[in-house]
Amino acid sequence: MKAYILFAVMFLGGIWTYFHFSSGPTYTVDYSTQVKPIINKNCISCHGGVKKQAGFSLLFQEEALGKTKSGKPAIIPGQPENSSFIQRLHSKNPEEKMPYQRPSLTKEEVDILTTWVKEGARWGEHWAYQALKEPSIPSGHWWSRALAFIGIKSGWEANEIDYFVGAEQKKQGLGHAEKASKPDLLRRLYLDLTGLPPTAAEYQEFEADASNNAYEKQVDKLLKSPHFGEKWASMWMDLARYADTKGYEKDDARTIWKYRDYVISAFNQNKPYDLFLKEQLAGDLFPNPTESDYVATAFHRNTTNNDEGGTEDEEFRTAAILDRVNTTWEVLQGTSFGCVQCHSHPYDPIRHEEYYKFMAFFNNSRDEDIPDDSPYYRHFKQQDQGKLDSLKNYLLAQPKQIQKEWTQTLRFVEPKIHPHWADQFVNGALADNKYLAVRNGGSLRFKAVPLMGKTSLLIAGKNSGPAPTYVTIHQGTKTGPIVTRLKLDTTLQEKYAKPKGLWSKGWAYAFYKIPALPGKQDLVWEFTNAKTKPDQNTVSIGFWMMIPEVPANLKPTDFQKIAYQIISASPETTTPVMLENPTEFTRTTRLFKRGSWLNPGEEMTRGIPALFSKKPVSNRLELAEWMGGKENPLTARVAVNRFWEQLFGTGIVETLEDMGSQGLAPVNQGLLDHLAYQFQYKFKYQTKDLLKYIVMSASYQQSSIVSEKDREKDPYNRYITRGPRIRLNPEQLRDQALLWSGILSTKLGGASVMPDQPDGIWNAPYSGMQWEKSDGEDQWRRSLYTYWRRSSPYPTMVSFDAGTRDVCLSRRIRTNTPMQALNTLNDPVFIEASQFFARKYPITGAEFIKKGYLDLFGKPISENKLAKLHAFYVNMLSYYSKNNNETLAFLKLCPDNNVPKDPAILVAKTLVANALFNIDESINKP
Amino acid sequence: MEKIFKEAIENEAILATRRHFLNTLGTGIGSLALGSALWNCQTSDKSQNSAFKIPPHFGKAKSVIFLHMAGAPSQLELFDYKPVLAKFDGKECPKELIEGKKFAFIRGIPNLLGPKAKFSQHGKSGHWISDHMPHLATQSDKITFLKGMYTDQFNHAPAQLLMHTGSARLGRPSLGSWVSYGLGSENENLPGFMVLASGGKNPDAGKSAWGSGFLPSVYQGVQCRSAGEPVLFIQNPDGVNADIRKASIETINSVNEETFKEFGDPETVARIAQYEMAYKMQSSVPEVMNISKEPEYIHQLYGTKPGEEAFANNCLLARKMVEQGVRFVQLFDWGWDSHGTSKSGSVDWGLHQKCLETDRAISALLIDLEQRGLLDETLVVWGGEFGRTPMQENREGKTQDYFGRDHHTDAFTMWLAGGGIKPGFSFGETDELGYATVNGKTSIYDLQATILHCLGFNHEEFTFPFQGRSFRLTDVYGKVIKPILA
Repeated sequence: MKAYILFAVMFLGGIWTYFHFSSGPTYTVDYSTQVKPIINKNCISCHGGVKKQAGFSLLFQEEALGKTKSGKPAIIPGQPENSSFIQRLHSKNPEEKMPYQRPSLTKEEVDILTTWVKEGARWGEHWAYQALKEPSIPSGHWWSRALAFIGIKSGWEANEIDYFVGAEQKKQGLGHAEKASKPDLLRRLYLDLTGLPPTAAEYQEFEADASNNAYEKQVDKLLKSPHFGEKWASMWMDLARYADTKGYEKDDARTIWKYRDYVISAFNQNKPYDLFLKEQLAGDLFPNPTESDYVATAFHRNTTNNDEGGTEDEEFRTAAILDRVNTTWEVLQGTSFGCVQCHSHPYDPIRHEEYYKFMAFFNNSRDEDIPDDSPYYRHFKQQDQGKLDSLKNYLLAQPKQIQKEWTQTLRFVEPKIHPHWADQFVNGALADNKYLAVRNGGSLRFKAVPLMGKTSLLIAGKNSGPAPTYVTIHQGTKTGPIVTRLKLDTTLQEKYAKPKGLWSKGWAYAFYKIPALPGKQDLVWEFTNAKTKPDQNTVSIGFWMMIPEVPANLKPTDFQKIAYQIISASPETTTPVMLENPTEFTRTTRLFKRGSWLNPGEEMTRGIPALFSKKPVSNRLELAEWMGGKENPLTARVAVNRFWEQLFGTGIVETLEDMGSQGLAPVNQGLLDHLAYQFQYKFKYQTKDLLKYIVMSASYQQSSIVSEKDREKDPYNRYITRGPRIRLNPEQLRDQALLWSGILSTKLGGASVMPDQPDGIWNAPYSGMQWEKSDGEDQWRRSLYTYWRRSSPYPTMVSFDAGTRDVCLSRRIRTNTPMQALNTLNDPVFIEASQFFARKYPITGAEFIKKGYLDLFGKPISENKLAKLHAFYVNMLSYYSKNNNETLAFLKLCPDNNVPKDPAILVAKTLVANALFNIDESINKP
Repeated sequence: MEKIFKEAIENEAILATRRHFLNTLGTGIGSLALGSALWNCQTSDKSQNSAFKIPPHFGKAKSVIFLHMAGAPSQLELFDYKPVLAKFDGKECPKELIEGKKFAFIRGIPNLLGPKAKFSQHGKSGHWISDHMPHLATQSDKITFLKGMYTDQFNHAPAQLLMHTGSARLGRPSLGSWVSYGLGSENENLPGFMVLASGGKNPDAGKSAWGSGFLPSVYQGVQCRSAGEPVLFIQNPDGVNADIRKASIETINSVNEETFKEFGDPETVARIAQYEMAYKMQSSVPEVMNISKEPEYIHQLYGTKPGEEAFANNCLLARKMVEQGVRFVQLFDWGWDSHGTSKSGSVDWGLHQKCLETDRAISALLIDLEQRGLLDETLVVWGGEFGRTPMQENREGKTQDYFGRDHHTDAFTMWLAGGGIKPGFSFGETDELGYATVNGKTSIYDLQATILHCLGFNHEEFTFPFQGRSFRLTDVYGKVIKPILA
């Protein structure tokens, strides 16, 4: 048997040797890794996407090898001696020498470029833009692989990840660390998979489990925990720039929390990542979108809105579209795209017009920077949903187009015509930029509004003064033929419920019949109300719209009656969503010259940059499908890099936001590609499977104690020479304190809550919004649910690097500041938690410290640490026993105002707990 | 133990480029910006391809006090004297001025509104200053006016963002963040960038006006609070005095020293330093924030109101902070948005009230800085986010009950004084109605470039790499306003 194994091992070793040494002929210089960095550093700012001095650009191959202004190419492949690209590097004439008026290239750099031209100036593609292929697994010790092949484990490797990590370590002359202790490993795993630390009982359970797969059991258990979705949603919120407010000036509320619930549940369901992206980018375009598909599209409705009086809605609508383009590229594709807004990409081969071709995918959604966040999904109360379902039955027999039109009208009350559509105001204005306000005799025009022969008109308005007001609608001009004369009466307000939305409160919905007019029409609306005073407004109008025709065979039924009830129904809650414009509302997308929306250029059709796809892609849905498809080289790489960063603290490519040629190179491209390939093809984009694969690796399970040599050579742990010891994020820090003290609410999902926050944080002008502390368990919910106001986020988030969510944040740059120390030392939330923790234990003194430490970290406290904490305890007890006033002052923070029997002991224990919550073990994952 | 510590600190120095997100992004400022440790900068340039280098010598100014009158004060009632406008008071605004123009609230054809204040000339400089600002008028010769300011944002939030971050959209680092990132703080016990707000509200742009954008969050402005604790969480809980907190921090740090022996993680050493610093800040911040110990003549000078939220207090605090080495002190005073929709929002009574609250304190600040020899090295900037129209506002086409002016982008006035600036000078001029700048047009970027210049930075070279390109405060614009430099 032994001989047999030996033979097998030798045989496999032989195969390995054969493949290892038989790779094809290689050029000595590689474009992407050697040439491109020199060009980016020295040449491209004058010969790239922004400037093309002398008609020479190095961005695209055809430009680099093409004729320059001089009439001949600067690069002649194979002939460095005839290529001015090379010759000018040597020139003594300062007018000719390159780089122009800058230091010369080093000899090494010149050699690389010269050899490159000599070898034919072979172009190459940046690594991240090359198709994803499965890299071969590095051998490690070949005998250990061979042994593993026949089922004998000989090395430290637990799965393929470790072979990739190990190979890179070997190359760098580095080693790996021991396996982490059980308690440390468990704390790390809990924090990484659920965002919460283990409880005392959970440490005990793991410690007591001596089975071989004890760790894997824990992994499987945590992947099933509902808290798993919360932890990963918390990461996604930064990427989606989720916030509960709209951003500018008064920074008013936005209701969009159902999107957060969607993300939590997507992670909990192990929804394939490609589908997850598809739903978020284009759920509204699915053949039969569900509520969840629509809510998913709120991803791109998290853009900021500007409600400030006098703002140009089109400007901020455009800003939101640009943000959607940039976010899509940065977050989902790891590509900096913002620079292409103004000119071709300075470093990567993406053309200026390609930005706007891509923007065209997003430029046709119905939203227009409206204060109520239209369009929004109306989540109905049960009885209204029942009515809607009954209407759907009526519609079943109708053609698809009619069904769709009615469904959108009933669900969204769209397409609305908003007040900013109006112009040519006479004795009237767009009041506060939000609604129409016109005086007696005043008029305004709606230019080219799509009427499409429809005859039912809905007006959301109210009389500002006495009722009624008459609206005379003219066709074309004010002197044009009268289409109709409508009576606007506020008594309608009682008849129909009010739609949801801060500013739209009080609109009454009124339905009218008008004669059919074809296509798009200019309409002039004239307002008369003799009872109003000269400077008093007659009515205010929030929006109006045309309602689809009731199909002929439904006219005898009560379809219309119920439909109007549904349109006017007040929903339980709403979520802003993406909704594509109907054909007659379609917008034209134009290139913005120099990136300015005020300077439109040629018309653009939809398309993906040629660098990434040659196939025609015609709408958001196809775009989303391309993103998860085989042709896309970036989606899986960007995703696994991000998941890796969450676990290890730094991505394999450190610049999560940029895998382009200006981003950092991967420290281990084989590993990145391996993970990406596994994710996309083996795990079918299922996040839980990927995460399990990573946490089951030996690399992940290492102790974070490292040899001095490895620390010196690998100070940032880029080569995974040890476990990831990194600071918790603000969500984890607060959640941990709440969990430890036993007050954390485990409720899943729902609207945002307002935990304790010092007064005066919210102080936005013109805003009536108040921070109203939530009651009961809602004040102790996980930080993911804390109300996020963009102009003033929750203080702990601000001090621990969370950003403001005005725009997407690809990664939080960890800092270490005194403000953070003050936060965890003095924030009432942390003091309160310390006190709850102290109260949980009937024991005191050293017993309390020992037990407390054991419960928090699953391991006994060292003698030295115990001595220090105990000395502090004794000191505190003696002080507070003597200073009863201060004891009582401190305990005023006591939530139930029950002064305990030994108040000084409680204070001493609380301060010890406060210290425990602040030590390095607590602030970091081990 | 001491030895271990020393070693660790040496390690820390070796790892000074630990903020490699900065370093490896190709700038080599990691060592300068040592994000993890303290507010201070260390000057060592380990990188060869450094896109940005710390100024070889300081500019004339070492610190900035930026007095932002949020809401935008009317230049026509304060510094931009337009006798011709008075003559046309109540007349219809010439059509050619407003054709194709968009205003925040003005609709149709508004009437011109003459200045609602009396102007006279002051000092050797002969600056025209209105009777709203009698105290400042005495400081006339210290000030340089920029009367040709213009912007392209006529709404508060975007205009304030443009002023402070160089972009009208959310998400960029603020001027103060750039400065503290570039220069650090001279006092390691205080943040390099502090923010003081008065007038009852934060500015319209919210915290983004002092946010760090894509710079590490350590460079964001630290907002001082006028009620409750001076800086969030700087006060210990009730019943916990400084000695107790000291004992607790010493305990935490001694436990962390043990942990350091175990894991050897340099971040632990940095944390120990941060906890020590937190303790120092607990005394240094309240100390600098406490104005009650200032002598009576100082209170007289500023017109301070200890214990209240007052602009005057903030001016005095700004002086104290600058004296203590804070690089950038940003004041916001809210309530200057004089549309004429209410009495307090009128350009006569309302604006006068705002001037009563601020005039004396601003002039006191200039006097006080000078008498301490600090004016030469402190750049004081005063202004709003845009100007106000020479026309009476007619919101919704109605006649307003009070005199008021709409937001105006084409012309407004700001002034500078102190470090690096020529005193008693005026730059830029508007037309006879004060509608548009006719010479010395100065953009927001020009102002920012000039402020950076006074601190010793070349605004075109002071960049940070983000999303594949080098970003700078002034985007691709801005030129230093050379005529106003000392």
